[in-house]
Amino acid sequence: MNGIEVDSVTKRFEDVVAVDNLSMSVEKGELFGLLGPNGAGKSTLTKMISGVINPTSGTIKVGNYSVQDESTKVKEILGVVPQDIVLYDYLNAKENLAFYGRLYGLSGRKLSDRIKELLEFTQLDEKAVKRHVSTYSGGMKRRVNIAAALLHEPQVILLDEPTAGLDPQNKHALWEIIQSLKKEGKTIVLTTHIMEEAEELCSRVAIMDHGKIIALGSPSQLVKKVKMENTITVVPDKTSTSLLEKIKGMAGVKNVYTAPDETENREILKVITDSPDDILPELVSTIVNQGTKVLSVELSRVTLEDVFITLTGRSLRE
Amino acid sequence: MKVKRAINQVAAVAKTDFLGVVRNKAAIFFTLLFPLFFIVIVGFTFGNTGTGGSSRIIVGVVNLDGELIAVNATKSSNSTIGDQFVQAMEAANFTVWGYDEYGDRDTNGTAAYAISRGHIHAIVVIPANFTETLAFQYVDSMGAPIPTKAHLELYVDPTDPTGSQITQQSILGFTSGFVKYYQQVAIEQAPPNMKEYIKVLADPIIVTTGEIKGTEELPWINYMVPGTLGLVLIWSGLNHASMTITTERTKGTFQRMVIAPVSPMVVLLGKLISALVIVYMSALIMLLSGVLIFQVNLYWNIPVMILAIFLGALSAIGIGLIISSITKNEEAANSIAIIVSVPLQFFIGAFFPLSIMPEAAQVFGNALPFTKMVDAMQDIMTRNLPFDAVIPEILYLTVSGLILFTIGVIVYRIALKRI
Repeated sequence: MNGIEVDSVTKRFEDVVAVDNLSMSVEKGELFGLLGPNGAGKSTLTKMISGVINPTSGTIKVGNYSVQDESTKVKEILGVVPQDIVLYDYLNAKENLAFYGRLYGLSGRKLSDRIKELLEFTQLDEKAVKRHVSTYSGGMKRRVNIAAALLHEPQVILLDEPTAGLDPQNKHALWEIIQSLKKEGKTIVLTTHIMEEAEELCSRVAIMDHGKIIALGSPSQLVKKVKMENTITVVPDKTSTSLLEKIKGMAGVKNVYTAPDETENREILKVITDSPDDILPELVSTIVNQGTKVLSVELSRVTLEDVFITLTGRSLRE
Repeated sequence: MKVKRAINQVAAVAKTDFLGVVRNKAAIFFTLLFPLFFIVIVGFTFGNTGTGGSSRIIVGVVNLDGELIAVNATKSSNSTIGDQFVQAMEAANFTVWGYDEYGDRDTNGTAAYAISRGHIHAIVVIPANFTETLAFQYVDSMGAPIPTKAHLELYVDPTDPTGSQITQQSILGFTSGFVKYYQQVAIEQAPPNMKEYIKVLADPIIVTTGEIKGTEELPWINYMVPGTLGLVLIWSGLNHASMTITTERTKGTFQRMVIAPVSPMVVLLGKLISALVIVYMSALIMLLSGVLIFQVNLYWNIPVMILAIFLGALSAIGIGLIISSITKNEEAANSIAIIVSVPLQFFIGAFFPLSIMPEAAQVFGNALPFTKMVDAMQDIMTRNLPFDAVIPEILYLTVSGLILFTIGVIVYRIALKRI
């Protein structure tokens, strides 16, 4: 079974072209990122994939089923996690899951078993499970919101901005959940405008703007497309020519130079590299072995945000 | 398997929708208790007052004035003044329906039958000697007129205390005016030697009010409680239905249902069942309150009541569905529902009889299915009439319910396209 096939899809709302002759495919078991600013067409595309709206032209297949012609079969294998918390706040977590489970045709023992499994997944304690959702924290609601989309064990999952509004701790907890879903072999499309999230989770990323995909590839491939460099800035207590030579001779270092530290009246080291994470430990030990103290280290990495700005001239949050 | 799955889905939607009301204090108040609250307030405020003067009261007239009677030992059958009285009533804007006899409540075609079914608001019986009395045909052996008074009998609908007071006052007022007119004409036309004598006859017409045989006079609340079932339809049916889809759409839960393998009609059926349960619950609260708090003594024909409420609820839910489907958010739906439902409740005959309203308002009120529901409930519960007496109302409710609910479904399906 394939993941998702989008073929020459266009969606018009009167005079506005929300999605413009877009084609892409998501492999089975892939965690695919869909990036773009507000109005780029991400939501329209995911609504078309989930069958909420029909494309003006083009075809979409989910797991070999046509969204337009076999919508019921698509709905059976598709789980959609909306950006907003779409739960009944006057029901508790268990009641919400029971409701959505019954919509997907689950009942009896099978339903109660799935609810039990997913309540463990949400990590809610027994008391919380019995409280109305309106009393939950943002993170608890997010986890139940995701669980509600997983009741029918979908093969393909659409996650729309799943970590929006969460604190770092809850955000990382959700990332773990998403990674665990990938390990289960689910095909996942993650819509986000958080670059760090896409880089951390996605094997491939499509950057959308004005209804089109303007870049597609793995995060590292996309970063390489941009003529920018990763820089490690080191503040040592002293510098020397021999130190510079030692660093320049390290594998993975493209260049090294000194620059004045305007505030402290001393020199800092700028190390240019393609793989800052890999060389950082060796770089620090090389400097220390030369009898030099490392006062601070700062890593400036090329991000997908830089890719987007380079491609569109705009920030993702504009 | 598919049917079992659909039933399971309908039950899930209905249960969730129902819990949305019973777990929300504001919703409980407005959906279930507001009709009760409203009737208590309105009842205490307006219960025993009338607004006076009605232009379109339907009066059944039994005009016996043309019958043969003995006057001064001779047979007389003059009906001139009785006919004038009827014409004057019509000129005064009363709707006059003629009957041959007073009859009884079980004999079709008689005045008593009509008033017992609420078809007319009052009966006026004009005596056989009406003209003979007022024309001074009763004379003594000397040929002098004997002061004799004409006795009109007036009967009003005892099951409609508020309306009957207004009707009675209107007819008494009219009669008083007719007497003054009669005195003026009589004095003008009388021979000179009779003029002073006629002036002495202060009240040539006496109106006596009688009881409708077989019909017990009931307190106001007996009339109001069945009427409040119309309010239940408006507040629990129309208002709830007008919010249900809009609320789900605003919260995004409706979109999540659409994404699931659920037919839109399954969702609608679940909503309908929930709305019906809420309507019946509200109706039960109203009726139990009437019985337990106000000690109302009513007649219970449960199957007909369930049927009439169901058919009326179809209309209410249909209108609610239209509002819910065409509005963009909860605020808009709520505003329109209030604009529709608040004025509507005064046109359904629950608080004030339609007969006291201007003709255009009566036409509008009588076209409303809720008015037919109220009429049917008052016939069954207050007047103790059998099912066949409310068949016209049931048919009207069936047709209007099917039409409004069908339109609601069509608009709902169109609205699905703009989720």
